[in-house]
Amino acid sequence: MFQLRWIWKNLKGYRFSYIFGLCLVLVGSGLTLVNPMITQRIVDQVITGVPDASGHLVRHLDQLVPLVIALILATLTRTAVFYTVIMLCERASQGVVRTLRDYLYQNMQQQDMDFYDKNRTGDLMNRLTGDMDMIRHTLAWIVRVILENVVLFVGTIVYFLTVDVVFTLVLLAITPFIYVVTTRFSKRVGPLHRDSREKLSDLNTGAQENIAGNRVVRAFAREDFEREKFDEKNRNYRDASMKANLLWFHYYPVIESLAQSLTVVTLLVGGLFMIYGRLTAGELLAFSSLAGTLANPMRMMGMLLNDLQRFFASSAKIIELYYARPTIVNRYDCVEKKERFSGRVEFKDVSLKFRNGAEVLKHISFTAEPGQTIAIMGNTGSGKTSLVNLIARLYDATGGEVDVDGLNVKLWDKSDLRKNIGMATQDVFLFSDTVDGNIAYGDSDMSEEDVKYYAHLAAADFIDKMEQGYDTLIGERGVGLSGGQKQRIALARALAIKPAILILDDTTSAVDMETEKFIQKSLRELSFPCTKFIIAQRISTTKSADKILILKDGEIVQCGTHDELLSQEGFYREIYELQSDGASAAQGKGE
Amino acid sequence: MARNKFDQDETLETPFSFSHLKRAGKYIKRHARRMITALTLSALAAITALLGPKIIQYALDNTIPAKNVPQLILLSAVLLVTIIISVAFTTIRSRLMTRVGQDVVYDIRKDLFDHLQDLSFEYYDDRPHGKILTRIVHYVNNLSDTLSNGIINFVLEIFNILFISIFMLATSPKLSLLVFAGVPVFLLVVILIKPAQRRSWQQVSNKSSNMNAYLHESLDGAKITQLFVREEENKGIFGRLNKNYRDTWMKAQYIGNLLWVSVDNISVWVTAALYLIGVLVLQPSVSFGLIFAMTTYATRFWQPILNIANLYNNFVNSIAYLERIFETMDEPVTVSDAPDAKELPPITGQVTFDHVTFSYDGSKNILEDLSFTVNPGESIALVGPTGAGKTTVVNLISRFYNLNGGAVRLDGHDISKVTLHSLRSQMGIMLQDSVIFSGTILDNIKYGRLDATDEEVRRACETVCANEFIEQMERGYYTEVNERGSRLSQGQKQLVAFARTLLADPKILILDEATSSIDAKTERQLQKGLNELLKGRTSFIIAHRLSTIKNCDRIMYVSNKGITECGTHDELMAKHGDYYHLYTAQLQDL
Repeated sequence: MFQLRWIWKNLKGYRFSYIFGLCLVLVGSGLTLVNPMITQRIVDQVITGVPDASGHLVRHLDQLVPLVIALILATLTRTAVFYTVIMLCERASQGVVRTLRDYLYQNMQQQDMDFYDKNRTGDLMNRLTGDMDMIRHTLAWIVRVILENVVLFVGTIVYFLTVDVVFTLVLLAITPFIYVVTTRFSKRVGPLHRDSREKLSDLNTGAQENIAGNRVVRAFAREDFEREKFDEKNRNYRDASMKANLLWFHYYPVIESLAQSLTVVTLLVGGLFMIYGRLTAGELLAFSSLAGTLANPMRMMGMLLNDLQRFFASSAKIIELYYARPTIVNRYDCVEKKERFSGRVEFKDVSLKFRNGAEVLKHISFTAEPGQTIAIMGNTGSGKTSLVNLIARLYDATGGEVDVDGLNVKLWDKSDLRKNIGMATQDVFLFSDTVDGNIAYGDSDMSEEDVKYYAHLAAADFIDKMEQGYDTLIGERGVGLSGGQKQRIALARALAIKPAILILDDTTSAVDMETEKFIQKSLRELSFPCTKFIIAQRISTTKSADKILILKDGEIVQCGTHDELLSQEGFYREIYELQSDGASAAQGKGE
Repeated sequence: MARNKFDQDETLETPFSFSHLKRAGKYIKRHARRMITALTLSALAAITALLGPKIIQYALDNTIPAKNVPQLILLSAVLLVTIIISVAFTTIRSRLMTRVGQDVVYDIRKDLFDHLQDLSFEYYDDRPHGKILTRIVHYVNNLSDTLSNGIINFVLEIFNILFISIFMLATSPKLSLLVFAGVPVFLLVVILIKPAQRRSWQQVSNKSSNMNAYLHESLDGAKITQLFVREEENKGIFGRLNKNYRDTWMKAQYIGNLLWVSVDNISVWVTAALYLIGVLVLQPSVSFGLIFAMTTYATRFWQPILNIANLYNNFVNSIAYLERIFETMDEPVTVSDAPDAKELPPITGQVTFDHVTFSYDGSKNILEDLSFTVNPGESIALVGPTGAGKTTVVNLISRFYNLNGGAVRLDGHDISKVTLHSLRSQMGIMLQDSVIFSGTILDNIKYGRLDATDEEVRRACETVCANEFIEQMERGYYTEVNERGSRLSQGQKQLVAFARTLLADPKILILDEATSSIDAKTERQLQKGLNELLKGRTSFIIAHRLSTIKNCDRIMYVSNKGITECGTHDELMAKHGDYYHLYTAQLQDL
């Protein structure tokens, strides 16, 4: 079984203690039989008495104290052994789950943007919580209980065989029936558990999106709609989970009746054997009490298989994540460069096609010399963000190549490359951490002065006015801050790593004019050399660039300086006229 | 409570009380009939099962020695019948309880989610979303078994104890007292363990909540993490949270498992005492047979207590989760319908601020004594420095917060006296962040008006110039987008959100930096649609783009806890005040 081998692999470090724990189960189960044996002796020796030579029953009262002490010690040992077993199993299962969680976390952090486009947060969360718990449960409980039952079953059978082979075989005749019924159940319940798991993941995603979109829900007064939507998911999960759980009770009566009918067989066959003199009364008595012990593992089998099916449903989902491999990875011969990049960027006939066939960029070629500022403009959806994403290798070009410092980005060590790129993305994502922690995200050891310095460069001085200043906690995704404030913190974060290449994707769209002006000035006067890529809508932002690229449907349709582009017909002049039209008209009136 | 971070344990505000159990009881009460049926069936099954040993004993004593084969067959048949009856009862009981367990979980989750919809967005702003999510999904799931089978078994075991106690007392009151003597010892252990046990399970719920919160945020922010090459450091942080969780879990196990260990040992001491005292001290007055019988009863007396000890551990675990769930359900709803709230009739769109004072924290006023009136159909641009309170002003119109003084009126109706639903459904609000839900683009736009036809959706998209890019996508309006909306560019998301707002056909339109990511050219085209959109609606627009601002009927300059300048573009320019400076600053830059 692949899943079990996979678990075994991840049990590393705990294998010995886990196996040791399971071996102790044998000891513990053995000790379970000690108490009845001692009790038996007390009854025989003390209560009933032993016949002496003349046939009188003599009670050995002197044996009572040692026997009672043995009883107490046996119990103490047994409970200690089982306590140890449980703790060893818990430890091992926690160990595996911890290893897996760490690994999966790390693995997910390295996945391409493609992975995050495909997988929904709620579903991923579900795998790392609910599914993970199923693995824990399997190792901590299911395996142990299966073992206990096997030991019990085999032990009892062996004992039976020593007494009467034929009788044992008659008893065992029931086992194949139970086996057939349980495996049929197990086969049918598997898909149901997978379905119920899917429904839980759906529910998780539904709740997650509702929480993430809580402002929109309130803005549109859609609370009732959301309640209904969630209610449906809640109901679906309940129904699916009920269906999976109820299926067991479809088979349970048969399995349970078969298991319990062992006592009937014992009575009937044992009785007949006794009548015909094959068995003694004592043997039959022992048989009938042990028939219950034999039945237990049989009835547990269904339940355990049920849990195992759930384990398979869950572990399949986790294994999928475990073996997810990003396509954007370091090549085996990638070039490391610890010193600062010069910041030269060259696009050589670059194209980008998404998996769904959409061609986002077509034959893009241009060069950015170190220290230059490249402005990128174009319609909504024309590929501006995709273009800059290629520089930091968030995606890989499907045609042509992107060179940084004269080498294809695919050949650089990914981390070294990215450490030289400061990017403020369009959808500002801040972490629920302090302002300080957010700005110093790229370098946690950054001094407080530095953090303040970069915040100042990004015109984020408003932080000083906050009651707790740089220690103010920002809510998840930066809630509680205005759009402009978030953008400025994101800008400070990008500047703080002193990048050789700075990419600003519409970073100042929500800040007011005066602030924007200040930021432009800071960017011109940076204390470190830096190639800048600026995506913007405003001419005021782009006009001083060394090169302005105009994108349309993934192609560069115009390229040049502000003056060059103004002298041409086209997008840039239109925008310029649009923006200065309003302005000059107003100026006229204002004077 | 101050804003919470992923690595901060949420302090539990309420001490443990039995009211939690009582409240959980409310959820169970709804299924009282099924619970009682299940209890009855369990009792019947137990009694039927008792017949089995009697039948066997009879056969061993009478039938077999008499070599009566027909009677043996008959007795076997009877035994089989009792088994079938008992199994049938148990099956029905278990089916009932499975349903109850799932229903209870469904009910609690529904109530929790429903309440969360009533909470203002401050609640969501103040804590990591992963923590809220964990409560809705995993905490609730953990309850199903405890609140169904757990309770039934608990009751059954109590009956078992009572039953066997009566039996023992009837057999030998003196020896019974010996058996009962173990109970105080057991209680002492429970009292000693309980505080640590409860704390440890609370810690488990805290640490899992912390870990999930960090995980959730890491998934959402993966792009930034990769860009800033923070994978290693984050791995370290997650590793610590992961370890903390494991450690608290193990601690809870170390403590929780002591309970059954104690019960097992106490039970054996009781048996030992029975033998010793019975045989060595009381022997002449009690027979050996009686002592033997009593040890059997003692075992049967302690077995249910052992079961209860295990159930109890689960209960403590579940209560740690229940406490959190109830705490969320008790989270006060800050903005809610007044008790005598009326429906807001269809409005014309007049907005009046009447001496409005507002502060987020109750101490620092953001707005002070602000008064203004906006006429139906007017468009207002709100300008001013970042953080001055532009967004606050528009949030107050939608009553996202309650005022600290004064009133906001729509067509003369105080908005604090009308129902929230009737108020907000007449407003169209476009926020800074365009949230896209997973589903088709069509679904996302229809969110504005659920009963809109496809044709209406198309028209709305045409007005906001979104039709072009949508139709170019491979499945047009039926293209699936996901929560992160990553298939769409930021500008495209805003256009979709715009169409959604337009479709709602609001009387009052609020655009909060809603078009910042839309390129200038599209915005220009949009302007035409926008003009049409603004017709007959009162609108409040927060924007930085001059063209957008200039087109408005009136411009309000927000600063200094109020509105310092107000008038048309020309009037304000003539005034040479703050607006003039703001405006010329931009011009100089061009």
